Amino acid sequence: MSDAPLVFTPRPADPPPPSTIGVVGWMRANLFSSVPNAILTFLGAYIFYVVVYAIIDWALIKAVWEAENRRQCLDMVGRSGACWPGVAAWIPNLIYGLYPKDQVWRINTGFLILIAWAVPLWLPRVKSKVAIGLSLVLLYPLLVSYFFHGGAQTLVWTALIALGGAAFLWVWLTTLAEMRFGLGFGALVARLAGAADDERARRIGWGALAALYVLALLIVSQLSFVEVQTRLWGGLFLTLVISGIGIAFSLPAGVLLALGRRSQMPLIRVFCVTFIELFRSVPLITILFMFNTMLPLFLPQGVEVNRLLRAIVAVCLFASAYMAEIVRGGLQAIPKGQYEAAAAMGLGFWQSTSLIILPQALRIMIPSIVGNFIGLFKDTTLVSIIGLFDLLSMSRAVGEDTRWLGLFIEPFFFITLIYFVFCFLMSQYSLNLERRLGEGQRR
Amino acid sequence: MKPAIELIGVSKWYGSFQALKGLDLTVAEGERVVVCGPSGSGKSTMIRCINQLERHQKGDIRIHGRALSGEAKTDAPILRETGMVFQSFNLFPHMTVLENCTFALTWVKQMPQREAEATAMAHLERVRIPEQARKYPLQLSGGQQQRVAIARALCMAPRIMLFDEPTSALDPEMIKEVLDTMVELAGTGMTMVVVTHEMGFARTVANRVVFMDQGEIVEQAEPELFFSAPRYDRTRMFLSQIL
Repeated sequence: MSDAPLVFTPRPADPPPPSTIGVVGWMRANLFSSVPNAILTFLGAYIFYVVVYAIIDWALIKAVWEAENRRQCLDMVGRSGACWPGVAAWIPNLIYGLYPKDQVWRINTGFLILIAWAVPLWLPRVKSKVAIGLSLVLLYPLLVSYFFHGGAQTLVWTALIALGGAAFLWVWLTTLAEMRFGLGFGALVARLAGAADDERARRIGWGALAALYVLALLIVSQLSFVEVQTRLWGGLFLTLVISGIGIAFSLPAGVLLALGRRSQMPLIRVFCVTFIELFRSVPLITILFMFNTMLPLFLPQGVEVNRLLRAIVAVCLFASAYMAEIVRGGLQAIPKGQYEAAAAMGLGFWQSTSLIILPQALRIMIPSIVGNFIGLFKDTTLVSIIGLFDLLSMSRAVGEDTRWLGLFIEPFFFITLIYFVFCFLMSQYSLNLERRLGEGQRR
Repeated sequence: MKPAIELIGVSKWYGSFQALKGLDLTVAEGERVVVCGPSGSGKSTMIRCINQLERHQKGDIRIHGRALSGEAKTDAPILRETGMVFQSFNLFPHMTVLENCTFALTWVKQMPQREAEATAMAHLERVRIPEQARKYPLQLSGGQQQRVAIARALCMAPRIMLFDEPTSALDPEMIKEVLDTMVELAGTGMTMVVVTHEMGFARTVANRVVFMDQGEIVEQAEPELFFSAPRYDRTRMFLSQIL
């Protein structure tokens, strides 16, 4: 025997036994692993079949697709099949409420602007995504408020609408400039103008923005839409307005409240704790009632706050209180070392919070945040009790129409599908977001 | 030699528990000081007071002759001369290795992106992991992560480097690569304060070893003397337990 060490050669891995992989392996492991399991599998499959068949039978096979009124439906199939013509006749109202038919294009345009505004957020080469996202939350409502409401423009309102309009122009000019030249709008104009130094370039950039604002002002002052009072708003449109504002408001407000609750400054902390605990301990219905009936009592005579606005404020405050606690949970999950590392490199509170802590915290909070958004979207149905005609109350109105008297199930079925589509899209998008943001952060 | 760090009667309490009991310590420019002691002896608290991750309540701390006031605004430029390496690395997991390094350069020093990346790559090369620049921290081994943390601190061009038990969270196989990096750094004349139990490192690199217990400095000496002839029984007992 010599002193040379033995050579260790790892053994190659064997393939797994065939019965544990593939479709057969999966079924054996998950559906038929034991006798009770197999019985449950067959029982479950049977129940699933019965329920799904009953629904398809009612909604599709026996359903009536053409009729003048509910009487005709009942004469044809009785109650065993759905009566869809009633829903079809009411679809415009289910979507737009009592909004005047000839003005509905304004709502559609408003939502198209929303989509156009958000598109750059998904384009790969756009760098100013944070600015675009912020402008979407802060300035888009200014522009769209005029599309939705219309009426005479006061000086201040015109200025605000134009701010929204200018922001929209800026979003797309910057998007195009960054995709084509890799420079933002202001920087591109400065480059074209041949700015000599940074100071000059910055001034030219601001000048370009001012020019954009003047342009928007000119366009906006030419617009003149008929006023559509908010009491005519309704249906899916109203639901989206309330929940959209609630969602857009509650996330930033929740972040600020959560930071405030963790603040070292007692006054801020006490205010935030009080606000959060107060609004979280009261049902949304109560808050809506409070805002609807009590608020006018406290306001001076003659000051009229719009009913829709009252509902929106109530929903926003309620949602931010919930969001604050979700965000706080996320902040607590970030190890103290992250703050310390940021501080040791000379970052201030706002820098380390917004660039180190929140991006990590928000990522782990995505499931709860989106869950909250979905909850908020569905909770907006509660505004029906203070006399707003959201999607749910609109669907109830179908059965009160003399032609379709008693037609309740079909409209409910229809709006259930609408709610499902929206909520399902939200939850799928959140899963997708989680996957993309999670890249590289797992071992 | 001009002093880089001066602690004068520094005391620190957590509630009613006194963690530091009037510490006096001067570290000269270019000096390499190893701080050791049992857990709870206040060595981490001391090093964290130097860069104000913990506020001391009594006494003075001076960095290159400039006293810390406790005001974040006035202290910030003074503290920028210190860099810190933590036991648990504390890299930012949502950024790549390169972004970890360029981050503070662009946000604190307002350095243009390209210049910041060049600086960061230079330091990553110095710790011998430029090829990992595009990966995320959690895709690296512990030793590599700690070397990134060292590079990240060096990017800010500190004149003083503080190490808080940099190898305690590492597997034995990885301790050496981090220590080698630190030895190289010591060769450049950097002022270093290192809290560690790596006595081999202390022996070869340190100019001075400081032994702490119960919030006080028990004794300090050149490594040669410290290991061969400790004066206090407490030091002897500690050494007998870890060597």
